[in-house]
Amino acid sequence: MVTPHDAGLAVLELKGIGKEFGAIRALHGVDLRVSPGEVVGLMGDNGAGKSTLVKIIAGNFPPSHGEIRFDGKVVHFARPIDARAIGIEVVYQDLALADNLTAAANVFLGRELKRKLGPFALLDHKAMAARALELFGELRSETRPHDLVKQMSGGQRQAVAIARTRLSNAKLVMMDEPTAAISVRQVEQVLSLIHRLKEQGVAVMLISHRMPDVFAVCDRVVVMRRGEKRADKAIGDTSPEEVTSLITGAKEAA
Amino acid sequence: MMKKELGLFLLLAVISAITGAINPAFLSFVNLLNMANLIGLFGVFALGEGLVIITGGIDLSLGSMFALLGVVFIDLLTTYQVPWPFALLLVLMGGLALGGIQGFLITRLKMQPFIVTLCGLLIYRGAARYYTSDSTRGFGYGDEASTLSNIASGNVAGIPNTFIFLIILAVVLGVLLHRSVYGRWLYAVGKNEEAARYSGIRTNLVIATAYVISGGLAGVSTVLFVFYTNSVSPSSFGNFYELYAIAAAVLGGCSLRGGEGSILGIVLGTALLQVLQNLVNILGIPNSLNFAVMGTVILIGVLADQQLQARRRRKAALAGLARTAPRSRETTILQNASPRGASALPTSAGDQA
Repeated sequence: MVTPHDAGLAVLELKGIGKEFGAIRALHGVDLRVSPGEVVGLMGDNGAGKSTLVKIIAGNFPPSHGEIRFDGKVVHFARPIDARAIGIEVVYQDLALADNLTAAANVFLGRELKRKLGPFALLDHKAMAARALELFGELRSETRPHDLVKQMSGGQRQAVAIARTRLSNAKLVMMDEPTAAISVRQVEQVLSLIHRLKEQGVAVMLISHRMPDVFAVCDRVVVMRRGEKRADKAIGDTSPEEVTSLITGAKEAA
Repeated sequence: MMKKELGLFLLLAVISAITGAINPAFLSFVNLLNMANLIGLFGVFALGEGLVIITGGIDLSLGSMFALLGVVFIDLLTTYQVPWPFALLLVLMGGLALGGIQGFLITRLKMQPFIVTLCGLLIYRGAARYYTSDSTRGFGYGDEASTLSNIASGNVAGIPNTFIFLIILAVVLGVLLHRSVYGRWLYAVGKNEEAARYSGIRTNLVIATAYVISGGLAGVSTVLFVFYTNSVSPSSFGNFYELYAIAAAVLGGCSLRGGEGSILGIVLGTALLQVLQNLVNILGIPNSLNFAVMGTVILIGVLADQQLQARRRRKAALAGLARTAPRSRETTILQNASPRGASALPTSAGDQA
């Protein structure tokens, strides 16, 4: 198991990240390190700056201040596709899947495998289904590549969304509220999917409001409040009560 | 997905058989060829409309496009004596351009497809009537473009060329929609544009291309219709034809919410509409009831399809319940909340639901 905060190379390193929207200061002086195979919980109330931070890392917009290092190199993203190209994937809250397509089609959406037929490039259904099946196997999910996504449970949909990130061999996966809209039983499946990612050395940032989930899978918890990082603690050194008081501001910092 | 097309085909076969039994003239060679011609004429632009509907949009401007492009086409051939290949090229380019403008307004300027193409319907019709001072344009007694006329309205071994065009275009678009990456993206964009965008698909380009294709096919249809009627009266040429296309697409399994439909379905939908029209004539039903018959069949067809789908979903849901119910599950979530760290998680649990 990778110990958090070890001296090894961080996959993601933020230094003094700040963001202003006009006169509004959304983020201020955020430092953060995430190591390979580490699961970091990002918590905070609405408007605390979590989404802004995630969007900056995902390349939706650039930070006003500070620098982002990925794999030791300073990076600048103009568009989300730049972030994805170097290995940062986001699993969105509403999962961003196309219901009318199969699991395999969704895994490969935007990155379809093609086979040449003379001058034309046609979809290679077979290769995509086979690779998708492999990915679901790695995640120990029983999702079938040919099933339509609209017929799937919330847990299976998560597996499809996470398989997408495995396809590109992402080094950092950010998950936005993956357990917010699904049943209790399926939450367990999603948490075990996060565990699979961790086993494969993928760094995971889990943005969640659900305290039990964060304490179940995360190695470390980062608490945001009013655009600043108020706490960054190993999960063993804190408690749900402390995190709650940090989120609400009852406790200023830890 | 093939179930829908099969059902439609059976419906088509049953209606044809019954009509043929009542009046054998329905199945006569002449009548079948006549229907094939009409299916070809109305199918070509229904394919384009279908693509647009799959993106979740709609194209209401087709009929007016025929009128505008039609009067320009005839004017180019007769008044300006433009060689027919150039006239043909200009009309096709015109269709592509009009589709491109609509696609631009819808994707870049974020206007609603219904509004953009409704305004297109009004503008193109008005432009056609103004351009001709509301007078009918037709070919003189000269043989302008007789070659093109033969291609557009002729036949090969009795089979109308319009029908052959439809088959060729349907195969090409079928490959595009069902076998190519573009088709995959079209379905994704139609169902969940945001998801497609997050996946790195240039959704605006995908959607705009559908309108361009629809415009281009409208150009092809214009030429076919012009040589079918041999004249264009700008106030009535192509009136309501976009509604035939929409009806054919919906009957063929396209959902107006986007993301659903197939080329085969659209072709079968067009065929069914033309068979219904023909049946009204053949069975001596008053011609005034033409639209009413069409409307009733579409209504019943869509209703039946929805009921069948709902039933299938309920069945699937029940089957899903039966599969997962017997498995007992520990309340691991709550227990995991207290012992810290991921090691407390049952690592063997995949998602089995």
